[in-house]
Amino acid sequence: MTEGVLLYCFDTPQVSYSKITDRCISLIERNLDLPVTVITDADTKGRIKSNCDTRVIDVDKGNTKFSKPWYNLERHLAFDHSPYDRTVVMDVDYFCYSDKILRLLQSENDFLVHKSAHDVLHREEMRYDREAMLDLVWATVLIFDKTPRTRAIFDTVKLVKQNYVHYCNLYRITYKNFRNDYAFAIALNQINGHREYDVIPDSIATVPADAEILELNDNGAVIRYKDKTISLQDQDLHFLNKEVANV
Amino acid sequence: MNIDQLKKISRQSFDINLQKANALKKAESDQILVYENHIFRADAETICFVRTASEGKDSFFMLDSNSNPVCITEPTDFLELLLQRNQSALNTYHQLYQNTKNRKV
Repeated sequence: MTEGVLLYCFDTPQVSYSKITDRCISLIERNLDLPVTVITDADTKGRIKSNCDTRVIDVDKGNTKFSKPWYNLERHLAFDHSPYDRTVVMDVDYFCYSDKILRLLQSENDFLVHKSAHDVLHREEMRYDREAMLDLVWATVLIFDKTPRTRAIFDTVKLVKQNYVHYCNLYRITYKNFRNDYAFAIALNQINGHREYDVIPDSIATVPADAEILELNDNGAVIRYKDKTISLQDQDLHFLNKEVANV
Repeated sequence: MNIDQLKKISRQSFDINLQKANALKKAESDQILVYENHIFRADAETICFVRTASEGKDSFFMLDSNSNPVCITEPTDFLELLLQRNQSALNTYHQLYQNTKNRKV
């Protein structure tokens, strides 16, 4: 059975995702030792320096976040895009400083996702109980096998994407821009008969957008928020501050 | 003590608790163990259950972290792996905690 990591990378006028991808891939090589396939567009492809499998697609550029371009509309195609039997799809700003993903790949679960995340500054709970009528999942990292059931999950995400306004109304989702986290939450909820589903049991350590990234090294990051300097080592980190491309 | 000193102590306590909270979250991630294709947390509760359930038995049943049932047929091996993973995670947590404490004034 083949295993590998699938990344989506599309540079925007504001953010050099190709630079972030290069760093992400170097950590995958170092800590997971898995093959990597990058789905990208023609413009971005030339800027990715890592030696990896790249596939060019026509990207759907319809979405925005905080009024800036946000190219996040391709993830529902991961089932078709992945050349692997067992795939890890992750955001390029999720940096693997540990072997956690490798451990999770040994499980028999055909679809795994995180249901919880925490702010490393512990300022606020990253919970969205009041933002929708169903629990959010974090599509930051997805682990899936190619099975009829996971095909059904991705097909449902596709359906949710096509009718997102309807599903927002149905589940009373307050955030109206398309968000993969909600699309996968809805798909998992529906395919699992509106019952619980298997999840990754820990929480994603999230570096918030307003934390300054002072240093990135092979083992982790040093960040600063106001007068606080925090060192985070040997644990996977999800960076919301896209300045991570320039550190 | 004046108000500035009190504020300084408060800020230091906040920083120490923040470092501790992050180290604990890291320890929880480090405790994830996959055995016989099932996901477990190598925490005190799991270890105590495995030790108790395996006493005088060659196999026993338990639940993984998603409440799926598993038949454990090699309890000694499983317990050993749980302890290794647990102690490795807590050893790191202990080191981070000591570093944080040592920075305390």
